[in-house]
Amino acid sequence: MEKAVIDKGLKVFENGGDAKLITHLNSCVHCGLCAESCIYYKATGDDRFIPARKVEIVASVYRRYHTFAGRFLPALVKARELNEDTANEMVDLLFGACTMCGRCTMHCSIGVDIAYLVKTGRTMLSEMGMVPASLQSTVKAAVETGNNMGIPAAEFVDTLKWMEDELTDELNTKEAKIPIDVKGKKVLYTLNPREPKFFPLSISAMAKIFYAARESWTLSSRMYDITNYAYFSGNNDEARLIAKRMWDEMDQLECSTLVLAECGHGTRALRWESPNYLKKPFPFRVKTSVELIAEYIHDGKIRLDNEKFKEAVTLHDPCNLVRNGGVCMEQRYILQNFIGDFREMAPNGTDNYCCGGGGGQLAMSEYNERRMKTAGVKAEQIRRTGAKIVVSPCHNCVDQLTQINFAFKLNIQVKTMAELVADAIIL
Amino acid sequence: MTWFSLFFLISLLICLASLGYHLLFLLRSGQTPDFAPPSGNIRAGILYSFTGAMSPVKKESAFLHLPTYAAGMVYHLGTFISILLIFLLWADVVFPIALSLGIAAFLLASASCGTGILIKRSVKRNLRALSNPDDYISNTLVTVFQLLTALTLAFGSVFTPWLFVAAGLLLLYIPMGKLKHLLYFFAARCQLGLFFGRRGVWPPHKNQTP
Repeated sequence: MEKAVIDKGLKVFENGGDAKLITHLNSCVHCGLCAESCIYYKATGDDRFIPARKVEIVASVYRRYHTFAGRFLPALVKARELNEDTANEMVDLLFGACTMCGRCTMHCSIGVDIAYLVKTGRTMLSEMGMVPASLQSTVKAAVETGNNMGIPAAEFVDTLKWMEDELTDELNTKEAKIPIDVKGKKVLYTLNPREPKFFPLSISAMAKIFYAARESWTLSSRMYDITNYAYFSGNNDEARLIAKRMWDEMDQLECSTLVLAECGHGTRALRWESPNYLKKPFPFRVKTSVELIAEYIHDGKIRLDNEKFKEAVTLHDPCNLVRNGGVCMEQRYILQNFIGDFREMAPNGTDNYCCGGGGGQLAMSEYNERRMKTAGVKAEQIRRTGAKIVVSPCHNCVDQLTQINFAFKLNIQVKTMAELVADAIIL
Repeated sequence: MTWFSLFFLISLLICLASLGYHLLFLLRSGQTPDFAPPSGNIRAGILYSFTGAMSPVKKESAFLHLPTYAAGMVYHLGTFISILLIFLLWADVVFPIALSLGIAAFLLASASCGTGILIKRSVKRNLRALSNPDDYISNTLVTVFQLLTALTLAFGSVFTPWLFVAAGLLLLYIPMGKLKHLLYFFAARCQLGLFFGRRGVWPPHKNQTP
């Protein structure tokens, strides 16, 4: 490996980093008590997947170049050179064996932000050009076409028109619209590109909710993609570019509230990271669709039929929305409003296990087999609830849960929150 | 001043200077500003990080490993007591015999916990793979320090030079490896409380089931 490449990776630690980075790099005491908090370790029992090992590979490189013991007595603290072997191991552990769900962080006996260090390691690898090809191609599609699935604008608009026709037929009114590129509306609604590509009914579901709530809203044909896979690849420049497009679109369409579709990582990247990518506070309001639907119910803007669903329903908490985003009770408020037999998973909320599809795992086909092995933890959680419907306010999780349903023969239905609510809405 | 007291004093000054450097470096490195508007209470988050989040009821790493957790708690308590005692012994404070023996018994127990943790690290494959020489050295130094404090309390001055030498070596070693966590632990809990507090994750919602 060339020195110039190594230097690019090490640049992430330049000047030693900020207080947060220095703190977490120096804090792990190798107690190993984090092991069971990780779905990779839990599902496989493989020692390499203990979260502390992921911390260690990043911290050991830091120690080698930035600490007294690491520089002069590297064997004492197992400080490692950043070379090809180390970098390859980093790729396997940090990209291939972590969803950055942060469960280990929350349960670390010291308080090391393990997911943050994994993200730091991914940034190093991104600087070195070592992002797994499949993940990088997803980022590339978003950068080059404006959405991570490379859907042409004409195809997208056609899908929306089709969904609008379906909606007007279903509701028997021409007033139920899916507005596109309309300036001056209150809400700009975003989408996960999986929706127009594979699950267009979730778009009409949300449109139905907006119609029922008499919301002033629009979609954009230019920039609707809530996702930002550059957050997972660790490339901050690409993440900034993607985030800026959404900010610019808000400006162009003169909307006042950006409503984030059901996408955990998209919410995290936009709500919590984009102001930092752009180094300025939001000039507009941001809320998730889950918070908005809860508000509609609370304010009496929509009413739900509590007889609609007789089956037991359980909730999967997306890690980026709940553990890393603080949106925890809104989805429960919604469900308790119209689901008679709502069953919590154990554990749930901020302690919930990741579905295994986060952190860019669904985009990284290189690790498919491993991803589906980790999914056993979630499959077992679902099975124990006895629920027939699993709802999750995250399209990425829904995708993984659908694969889990098939692979583990759970015989369940997997739905987004908007789909469930739209089915029960009283007009 | 005896030679061993002098050694202890010099070690203490070196340790404090090194840790002071770490602290200063940390403070001077600064916090990258977070432009995202908070949705929670940062102060409450930090407070929870040091309290509720550390509770064995909430922390999985604790409740799934209760014997190790309990041993760790006793071990750390033994360390704090030993540190306090060495300064008192240095100042020639004399304790009543019953108190000395009581504390010595506790320190023997805490040193046993330290030994147990060391054995666990040496025996368990996953911990061995995670460990480096620093882990073993740190554990040994602290355990020996506790043991010598107990012996000094129980048997008097014959062990005093050994105790001060062990304490001096421990102090010299602290800034080198993982024992720095006596400083970074607090920084890490603050950072974590800041992160989860800002996002409204900590303190947790009351009606969330555990």
